[in-house]
Amino acid sequence: MLQYRYELNRRRALHALAAFAAGSPLRAFQQDPFRDHSRIPALTEMRTALDFEAVAFVRLPRPVFDYTAYGSDSEFTLRRNRQAFDWVELTPHAQPVRTPDTAAQLLGTKLNYPILLSPTAGHLQLHPDGEPATYAGATAAAATPMIVSNVSSVPFEKIAGASRGPIWFQLYPRNDSESNHETLERVQGAGAQAVVVTVDQQASFFERILHSRHLNPGAPGGVRRRTSSRGAPRNPYRVPEDRLFYEWKLFDEWRKIVKVPLIVKGVLTPEDAKICLEHGIDAVYVSNHGARSLDYAPSSLEVLPDIVDAVGGRVPVIFDSGIRRGADILKALALGASAVGLGRIARWGLAAYGAEGVQRALEIMQAELKLAMMAAGCASLKAVNRSLVRTDFP
Amino acid sequence: MSITRRNAAQWLAALPGACAAQQLIGEAPGRITPVAELVNSYEAEAMAGRVLHPERFAEIAAGSRAPFDRITFRPRLMANSLDLDLSVELFGVKLFAPIIAGPVADLSRFHAGGEAEWLKGAEAAKTHALLAAGGGTFPVACYSGDWAGFDKVRAASKAPVLMKGILRAEDAKAAVERGASGIVVSNYRSGVAELPGVAATISVLPAIADAVGGRIPILIDGGFARGTDVLKALALGARAVLVVRPLLWGLAAYGAPGVQQVLELMQSELARAMVMSGKPNVAAIGRDTVRLHKR
Ligand SMILES: Cc1cc2nc3c(=O)[nH]c(=O)nc-3n(C[C@H](O)[C@H](O)[C@H](O)COP(=O)(O)O)c2cc1C
Repeated sequence: MLQYRYELNRRRALHALAAFAAGSPLRAFQQDPFRDHSRIPALTEMRTALDFEAVAFVRLPRPVFDYTAYGSDSEFTLRRNRQAFDWVELTPHAQPVRTPDTAAQLLGTKLNYPILLSPTAGHLQLHPDGEPATYAGATAAAATPMIVSNVSSVPFEKIAGASRGPIWFQLYPRNDSESNHETLERVQGAGAQAVVVTVDQQASFFERILHSRHLNPGAPGGVRRRTSSRGAPRNPYRVPEDRLFYEWKLFDEWRKIVKVPLIVKGVLTPEDAKICLEHGIDAVYVSNHGARSLDYAPSSLEVLPDIVDAVGGRVPVIFDSGIRRGADILKALALGASAVGLGRIARWGLAAYGAEGVQRALEIMQAELKLAMMAAGCASLKAVNRSLVRTDFP
Repeated sequence: MSITRRNAAQWLAALPGACAAQQLIGEAPGRITPVAELVNSYEAEAMAGRVLHPERFAEIAAGSRAPFDRITFRPRLMANSLDLDLSVELFGVKLFAPIIAGPVADLSRFHAGGEAEWLKGAEAAKTHALLAAGGGTFPVACYSGDWAGFDKVRAASKAPVLMKGILRAEDAKAAVERGASGIVVSNYRSGVAELPGVAATISVLPAIADAVGGRIPILIDGGFARGTDVLKALALGARAVLVVRPLLWGLAAYGAPGVQQVLELMQSELARAMVMSGKPNVAAIGRDTVRLHKR
């Protein structure tokens, strides 16, 4: 045994070589998707919404890229969000259609396509123009509604002034009803046409912040766990306390303040969808937060049909998490969603090319949806129903 | 294709990926990450791989995640969790969290400090430990072997005796009938652990829980490495989970602080998973917390 350990044989030599190579800066070559032609492609070369991700990768510092890319904990749900679309197959009609009608009406907002921009945090880190550029890009792409995150890097009023398309607001409730009240009054005054209250992601943790430990060692935020803004939590398990106070009855309070449609984001069970209805909610938003909330949560897609059944058409069901292609949108609509949200796609678009990137990425998704409807033989969104798909969820 | 210097360099750089030599994102090879920086138990595994002889390490390498990957949660919203509480009561002992350091023989194989470091780390993480040789900080005896032997141990023991190694509902029933104080669903038994194709404990737990029907507490071990794994076991009928391998990783790489860190990580993960599935305490967890998948 001992002899084996210290003798130099072919196997050990290879091991040593591999270890040497692992420590070599050449490894970084592997991570550069453009190493063979070191050129960032032009906006006009983007063919699918996925193409923007690679451009964003080269444009962004690694921790910023990771922040958009990653999911919580083991990222089981992140993988499942994409896998889920493979469990749904389209069964097109024999007769294709030429000019499908993609228009829809959602909570008083007229949509040219059943597509929204999901709320996502801090756009300034992606592009110096920040949220105003995202909004301008969304409006330019057939007036796609933008849902502005509560944690945007530019204040809502300022974003709202940057363009004229439909704009909604997303709230992360605080354990301070006065502050919630003030925020909701303010954004409605500034033109928010609907309010989305996000109630998942109470205590998520991103393991991939590991990247920052070697890319910028000593950077603030490094591998520190998120701690509560209000000091040490009451619980001894190091779970930040800011979002632990949630209770359904709070919606009755918010319902009174919100004059525009009120939406609950993060629903993943039929039971909770029904509770939403009891509290007078105007739409149920099925989402697992792009796999950034509970690890091992189901993909949003696999729970969508049961939630749609529970809601029974009483209010619209909005869907997001994992959509990357037009056909993905068609599948979600076929399973009963009234509209879908895109989170990361807009972020990649913004990071890659600013407002024009957002616009182009959205236009690609819109064109793909149209093509999918043509091929599937759906003349309008009304024709998109469950008969259009076969599902094989595990 | 001609081989250029650049080509060759790229090929070389790709080698470690192919060898999976670098398991931690961004950690230099050979470096031992400071223990406080570990973000999950699997990082402790990678560190153990750096300090242990490959053969020793192979004994405690991680198990398959596939059985856990066939279980997802049904997260419920808006459950006030300000009074989050992971504690459970077991044989008169109040556990800080439903996680117990499981029994392992001869801990000095993995760290010179052996048992002392193990117990110190567990205690620092407010966790009770069951030792293979008896003793430890959890007042029960764990028996694994045939029924005649079990009867003898039970008759001789003042402490509650658990029947360990249950994988079938009828054995669980038999354990209840023979007066076991509890059972441990486990496939870690000589001959069984190496048996190709042996069922994962988490997969057989539901049927066993049905057979026991709450008459005695069920413990379980086998591949638990994340807080979400523990939550799944609780949902399917276990009262607590015995964790061994992840703690051995921590022990091997860091001694007591490693054991403590891995336990605290798993406790935090469990706490966060409970919050985000709407279960502020263990009593709120039930079968409908999870969904079982065929594949
Ligand atoms: C980087 C990032 C930040 C996000 N920030 C928020 C947020 O502030 N509020 C919110 O409700 N959802 C947030 N989300 C979740 C999105 O609204 C949406 O649910 C998710 O991105 C959809 O999945 P997709 O990215 O696969 O399209 C964020 C998502 C990402 C990727």
